[in-house]
Amino acid sequence: MSTRVHITGIGIISAIGNNIEETFLSLSECKTGIGKINHLSTIHKNDFLVGEVKQSNEELSKIAGVKNYNRTTLLGLIAAKEALQNSGIKNIKEARTGFISSTTVAGMCHSELLYKDFFENKTNENFIDSHFSGVSTDDIAGIIGIDEYVTTISTACSSAANAVMLGARLIKNNILDRVVVGGVDALSKFTLNGFNTLMILDTEWCKPFDENRKGLNLGEGAAFLVLESDEQVKKSNKKSLALVTGYGNANDAFHQTASSVEGYGAFLAMQAALKVASISHQKIDYINAHGTGTPNNDSSEGIAMQTIFENKVPKFSSTKAYTGHTLAAAAAIEAVISILSMQNNMIFPCLNRSAQMHELTSSPVSVIEKNVNLEHVMSNSFGFGGNCSSLIFSKN
Amino acid sequence: MEVYINALSCISHHNTIDDDFFFEDIPSIPTSNSLQVTAPVYKDYIPANTIRRTSHILKMGISAGLMCLRKTGKEQTDAIVVGTAMGCFEDTDKFLRSIGDNNESMLTPTSFIQSTHNTVAGQLALLTKCHGYNFTYVHQNLSFEYALLDAMLLLKDGEAETVLVGGVDELIPPLFELFDRAGHIKKTENNNEPIWKSKSKGFIAGEGSAFFSIGNKSTDSSIAKIKGVKAIQKLNTEGELSDHCTAFLNELNLKKEDISLVLNGASGDSEKDKRILNFTDTLNLPTAYFKHLCGEYFTSSGFALWLATNILKKQRVPDSIIPTKFSGALKNILIVNHYQDQHYSFICVSAC
Repeated sequence: MSTRVHITGIGIISAIGNNIEETFLSLSECKTGIGKINHLSTIHKNDFLVGEVKQSNEELSKIAGVKNYNRTTLLGLIAAKEALQNSGIKNIKEARTGFISSTTVAGMCHSELLYKDFFENKTNENFIDSHFSGVSTDDIAGIIGIDEYVTTISTACSSAANAVMLGARLIKNNILDRVVVGGVDALSKFTLNGFNTLMILDTEWCKPFDENRKGLNLGEGAAFLVLESDEQVKKSNKKSLALVTGYGNANDAFHQTASSVEGYGAFLAMQAALKVASISHQKIDYINAHGTGTPNNDSSEGIAMQTIFENKVPKFSSTKAYTGHTLAAAAAIEAVISILSMQNNMIFPCLNRSAQMHELTSSPVSVIEKNVNLEHVMSNSFGFGGNCSSLIFSKN
Repeated sequence: MEVYINALSCISHHNTIDDDFFFEDIPSIPTSNSLQVTAPVYKDYIPANTIRRTSHILKMGISAGLMCLRKTGKEQTDAIVVGTAMGCFEDTDKFLRSIGDNNESMLTPTSFIQSTHNTVAGQLALLTKCHGYNFTYVHQNLSFEYALLDAMLLLKDGEAETVLVGGVDELIPPLFELFDRAGHIKKTENNNEPIWKSKSKGFIAGEGSAFFSIGNKSTDSSIAKIKGVKAIQKLNTEGELSDHCTAFLNELNLKKEDISLVLNGASGDSEKDKRILNFTDTLNLPTAYFKHLCGEYFTSSGFALWLATNILKKQRVPDSIIPTKFSGALKNILIVNHYQDQHYSFICVSAC
């Protein structure tokens, strides 16, 4: 259990860019990717704003260099390939390499288009074989050539944080030398209508940690990180972008979809992450919060942060007003954004804020900050089923 | 690292909720190509005010989970890890249909909320007030294996002393139709041979829920120990399954001769079972079968582990699961499973 866990590569695609470079540019210009629905076929085109990846499936296929895959697999493949390239990995087989993906609805973007016809018109006979959650993981792993430890986690909106956590544990236990971890979700009618029935979608741009927040904007995308052991990094003489030093998963055990008022699960997850990282809470320089923009989350998370940080909450912001809430991919996307913050000494602020939340005494970063040294960054992600996860990234 | 099974429960096609039941007088050919579970009294486990809204998989998952914990003497565990390939399909189906039928209007949230893959694990946490680690694996027919690997790692690292780990998948009419029309399910008229002698394509479909309370210490109630689990993503060559088996047994410091019994996950599909049947033929050890009892489903390895544990406990192999009558001591059981000749797995379970 002695090895450190290095991040040696990152890859990302979301509404604010198809790669790291485009993503960083949007973030540093405080430019949102959230807008009108363009590709998703839905009657709600004019009702909600979403963080849609700008390319059609045909265009994504070209970027990914493959044919005949659904949007979920395409997004995942593009981000996973970039992460491997960013890490300089050319030969997968030279080390024990795993692949841990995560998703909430997997190929739903494709299945929902065929489902009614399957039963009513007796068509689309084989689509069940591409619906299962693990299929996009298998497809991506197959194309990039990983077959050592390939699995899929689904814990709602904390999924990708748990993929990072599992990857770090596998490396610490010397089960793998390196592992590609992350998550992917494509927009679907299923999730858009689902969140609409819960009445937690904002019809305008979402306003994380603002008094007048009304709900979230859904998004889509994927991000992957390459994690490697000390020994593996030394062997390949590689640059380490950052370390995964802390992680924690806990359950709020309060309600299937709502967070407890005091954010007990969130508190426990952050506490566990600090313990694994063996640092006191004063060492955290910035928190990339879950901050969905729903009244319930931001209040619950804010109170939990005030509790664990003893009312001296470090600088924090949510970047969901840039990308939208990308569900299973969110924690991986925000892990990549956290790395970009550390590399560039920048804090990307909350957007669309106008008033202080009455539930909180602390306030998020609302104007971009530059030249801030970020040694330790925390990233929170919470999901349905009371699932709460917190990660800590540190400079090497 | 070895871990101990301190309690277990299983809801399956047969009356496995009764501890005294052990497949007496069960025919070796299943009565149907679709094996639904024999349900326990669900209201013993599910709060009365929610039972009407609770889907089939949630009922199976919550009941088996709680049943298992109650056998440990307290409804408490440090962590919960669940494997489910299809997740909450009944609610997914309901929400998908209402989107289609009502053109994305007049929808209600219940089925969407409960369609989330981690609902079983989340509900178990809620009902037992378990604030600990809570993971759900959804990697097709390796979902239970990865849940088990994670649970064992938690125990090894000392992050938990007890873990509730389970596998659950449901077979509901739309799923049956989906599998059937994709050509995966055995035609009723071909269901006339024991699965190990099948000459026809297609599997016997099934469902079930099996949960285990595992710990890093042996207790008075320890029933068996899990020595190791191996999930195999992809087989590149014909002989690779044998190579994986040799490497797996080596890791566990076991020789082939140490294995008393092999539990073979052949599904009754003469095409897709070729490799697994050839493999156990070559292995040449006493071999029993289980998918005529529970049917094929993605987390059937959970059923197999429950069966293997009970075989060790009772020191008896029921005649209904083995072509040649077995007698002798039972020490180590090797489970080998697959789905449609895709992913394979090994689980080794041993007497305490």
